[in-house]
Amino acid sequence: MYVPSVTNPIGDYVREWVPQLVAYLPESLQGETTCSVIAFAINAIICIIAVCLVNIGSAPILIYMERKVCAHVQCRLGPMRLGWHGTIQTIADVLKMLFKEVYSPQGADKKLFYLAPLIVLIAPFMIAALIPFGHNLLVANVDMGIPLIIAVNGFGVLGILLGGWSSNNKYSLMGSLRSGAQMISYEISFALVLLFVVMVSGSTNLMEITNGQAGTVANWMIFKVPVLGFLAFIMFFIASTAEMNRAPFDIAEAEQELTGGYHTEYTGTPFAMFYLAEYIALVTNSALAVTCFLGGFHAPCIGFESVDQILLKVPGVIWFFAKVYFMIWCYMMVRWTFVRPRVDQLMSFEWKFMLPVNMLLLVGGAAYIALSI
Amino acid sequence: MSMTQLPPGFKITRETDSEEFFINMGPQHPSTHGALRLALRMDGETIVEVVPHFGYIHRGLEKQGESMTYLQYIPMTDRQDYLTAIQNNLGVVLAYEKGMNIGVPEKAEYIRVMLSELGRIASHLVFFGCFGGDLGGQTCLLFGFKEREMVHDILEEVTGSRLTTNFFRPGGSRFDVPENFIPRVKAFLDHLEGAMKDYERFLSKNVIALERSVGIGILSKEDAIAFGCSGPVLRASGVDFDVRRANPYSIYDQLDFEVPIAHNGDCHDRYNVRIAEIHESMKILRQCIEKFPKEGPYRSKEKPVKLNPGRYYSEIETAKGLYGTYVVAASGDKPYRIHTRGPSFPHIGVLNKMCQGGKISDLVVVMATLDPVIPEIDR
Amino acid sequence: MGIINFAPKILDPIPGGKYVVNAIDYVVNWARANSIWPLTYGTSCCAIEMMSSSMARYDIARFGSEVFRASPRQADLFILAGTITRRMAPAIQMLWEQMPGPKYVLAMGACTISGGPFVYDNYSVVRGAQNILPVDVFVPGCPPRPEALFHGLLTLREKILKETCRNPWHEGDTQDLSQLDRYREAAKAWAELEKIKDEEMAEARAKFKEENPDYKSSFKPVRVTKEAFPEIAREHEISLAEKSSKGLSKADMFKALKNKFASVTITGVTAETPEALAEAETAAVAALTADSVLEVRLNAEDYLAAVEFVKNDPAFKMDYLIDVTAIDYPDHFELITMLKSLEKKHQLFLCVPLAKDESIAAEKRATSILAKVPSVSHLYAAAEIKEREVYDMFGIKFEGHQDMRRIFLDPEFEGFPLRKDFTNPNMIKRPV
Repeated sequence: MYVPSVTNPIGDYVREWVPQLVAYLPESLQGETTCSVIAFAINAIICIIAVCLVNIGSAPILIYMERKVCAHVQCRLGPMRLGWHGTIQTIADVLKMLFKEVYSPQGADKKLFYLAPLIVLIAPFMIAALIPFGHNLLVANVDMGIPLIIAVNGFGVLGILLGGWSSNNKYSLMGSLRSGAQMISYEISFALVLLFVVMVSGSTNLMEITNGQAGTVANWMIFKVPVLGFLAFIMFFIASTAEMNRAPFDIAEAEQELTGGYHTEYTGTPFAMFYLAEYIALVTNSALAVTCFLGGFHAPCIGFESVDQILLKVPGVIWFFAKVYFMIWCYMMVRWTFVRPRVDQLMSFEWKFMLPVNMLLLVGGAAYIALSI
Repeated sequence: MSMTQLPPGFKITRETDSEEFFINMGPQHPSTHGALRLALRMDGETIVEVVPHFGYIHRGLEKQGESMTYLQYIPMTDRQDYLTAIQNNLGVVLAYEKGMNIGVPEKAEYIRVMLSELGRIASHLVFFGCFGGDLGGQTCLLFGFKEREMVHDILEEVTGSRLTTNFFRPGGSRFDVPENFIPRVKAFLDHLEGAMKDYERFLSKNVIALERSVGIGILSKEDAIAFGCSGPVLRASGVDFDVRRANPYSIYDQLDFEVPIAHNGDCHDRYNVRIAEIHESMKILRQCIEKFPKEGPYRSKEKPVKLNPGRYYSEIETAKGLYGTYVVAASGDKPYRIHTRGPSFPHIGVLNKMCQGGKISDLVVVMATLDPVIPEIDR
Repeated sequence: MGIINFAPKILDPIPGGKYVVNAIDYVVNWARANSIWPLTYGTSCCAIEMMSSSMARYDIARFGSEVFRASPRQADLFILAGTITRRMAPAIQMLWEQMPGPKYVLAMGACTISGGPFVYDNYSVVRGAQNILPVDVFVPGCPPRPEALFHGLLTLREKILKETCRNPWHEGDTQDLSQLDRYREAAKAWAELEKIKDEEMAEARAKFKEENPDYKSSFKPVRVTKEAFPEIAREHEISLAEKSSKGLSKADMFKALKNKFASVTITGVTAETPEALAEAETAAVAALTADSVLEVRLNAEDYLAAVEFVKNDPAFKMDYLIDVTAIDYPDHFELITMLKSLEKKHQLFLCVPLAKDESIAAEKRATSILAKVPSVSHLYAAAEIKEREVYDMFGIKFEGHQDMRRIFLDPEFEGFPLRKDFTNPNMIKRPV
């Protein structure tokens, strides 16, 4: 019987420890299969908890970070009163939202109304399970990693569409329809840029893509393929911003036009889930960008032995999260700098500019491979 | 959906197809700039017709004015267009002065012009902020308000109030300006000069902002005149009309300034005209600082409280446009009828014309560039 | 009612459970008090101060309240910024009802506390937000400074910290809008008391006079010294720039109109004979100062033709309608159409006296349309909304207008406010 392997730092320890536990079972149940199944189950539970902690734990940090970045861009201070420089402000926000009254508007489709925020949460959680955070920090080492990410990422739009439709509100409906059109369009660019990465690295496995970028900074995807790599990175940045419904592509929420778009009618906890999903998506998209373009968990070695040795002493996880937070900071700066395009301009930007450029990118990638062999 | 009866106000009677629906925008909506309600008839994202519904902040100021003395009515004008309350004071006071037949000392005229130009700058800065904010750039909103606070510091020092100034009186003003008024204005102008450069870089050349505003909400010259638009909205459509120039009041005839005009009548032109007006106001302020008389009274000697019976009309150019005051004086110290012609009212009347065929996002931008203040419409 | 309100019911009977409930209370109140998200709502001047408070200078974000939600479903605090009118009141109640509990209301500014400057002689303003909603904190000022709003916010914070889930704070209900007129009753009762007091005082005075017939007051009025005011050396003369030479002079305008329409006169000029009248009129036109406007009076029959004439005549070219308004005199209305030529820079006001319809019974006069006049909305698009305003305020009907509805007031509103005979039960007379 095939049991998929799960890697995490304590995985080996679990695998050693499980046979001792199995020895207590009746003899008919003992055997290699039982051992590996139990080991897999325990490892899986550890991984699920870890993913949840990373994701849910990062959301308050990101919300705090967003508020502070926004405040400093706008020449003000941001939260200051609760904790040192307002550090526990978001905890108060989350607690308050959990204890708020929850109700659905009149005429809403109640089942779908409460189901929608949960569906939105699925996609970012699943992507987080595929991303290698370190040399042995990976929940699922899936060979078809990139196709799976592309498939799962489209799932989020379903939740938004359902949420907007079930709210029985025209603003929500318009917001969700905008969001649906936008996400489905940008999905194509998103997929094509990832295909470029797959083409150049020759693998769909995220771990292999990361390991292909080992070595110095020059080996990172963004610099590995001259010009094209950087172009692909920018394309990925734009497409993922649109995928996440973040400003300047937040036409689905568009507070000035639609008073909040698809989550206009959501209160309390369901609304908090939409909020959470938005920020977890930010983490996962940044992590994906880091994995595919910025060398993943590899240290930014520059080729000098003496410097590199110091850099390599820092664990890969720390490099990974440092890169992820840099990416998040970039997303935030973009959000608070640009104004929002109109819905039809956004569409024509995708179909008339992003898509052709991405096609050219693929051709360029093919040429690069042909030349470099 | 076949409709035999449209909601009140909708005029286009065409064969409605099943795609059309109605949306109610306001009275509480982030981009209607106050308590205005817009009923939208939509075809998908495209606007077929806009019907504005007024009166959600109708406070009966004109009726109230009939039972107030002339001077008691001055603070009421603060509460009409609260973004440039100081200019509204000037408008009503000019009408009173015609009825009282008194002159104004030179220093008072300079105080009037300087404060009204500061008010104009403050209002246009709010426009800058709201325009950026309604486009989706929250940061612009903050930047616009940041410099506006400095104007309010000056206004507070002079008038004692941040927003509702209640400062001008027939024959002059309530108080003299403080000693450091001129240095403060000078410092503010020097600061604004640099700040405006940054801000213009923020919006004037931004590709997305240009995409959103160029060619959007075009108001033709003929329509602008026919619908009674005024101020920057009219000038952005290519009409050279500014009350300060056409029918000068106070000392505007002695000052050297340009009237910025644009010819396309779209949202970007209205934005450009307002930004250019900030620069013109700064020019006027600099001239006033040079000419400002150090000595002299700040108000006329006599302080009349009654108007001679008759009808008096004054018009001034506020930041929004033509602000007219029509006073019918009978015997006694209360007006028989007092009427205000606010500039924002016709601007909302033309909204339908400008938004037809646009997207709902365009409506938001058009609303921002019309820069209406709803209490001034409803009064 | 949130989920935690069930906590005391379950935990309190258990020994030691009340400490758990206390702990829950502490945590929940701490979260609620420190994360107050306001609703984006504002009607007038206070709204701009509310906006200022979230801007860079004052920065409401320091208290964690910068998350202004546009949708009431996600807001905790309803900052009532700006005057509440009777037309807006149902919308406000609806917004309040859409907010999930626990919800708080902060009344900002004098208008929302009591009606502020709009108490007297007003038919449309709600005198105090507490008449329509349960209010938690009042912030006085007209408008309050942002600092005052922060003080209100912190006061609300203290209030929230005292709550407990054992005794859930009753949110209260919206008030019945038909009960808005409690002030009127109070004012009536007050007036009664005043009357009694006046009578008693008069009696006492009469009694005192009887008892002390030769009493003389020793009161002397105090004369306040006039403030030292410097002599004005030179009155600044309003030297208006000469009117654009392209425009017609007032005399020319009057002459041209007089030739075309026989009924044209100058407001307020009367004479016995036609010759004397003509002379007086010319004198009146000549007496007009540079900064006043020519006001021409003409009959209602000539009104439409006159407007058409001045619009299309190449010498007049009045292409811009400033305003349409009216005045209510005891026996007639006067419709004033203010016209301007943007090109030639001259102005002309047309005053049309409109006789009131005498056939309507006296008791119905206040609520019925008393005069009719042809509409000019096909000539000037601007007239469309202006004429609706005159219709709304005076009850003058414009014939030929496409969309004659009330503009500022509810369709059900009775009476026409700017008429002198207008009465409304909601109006309180201004004490003189």
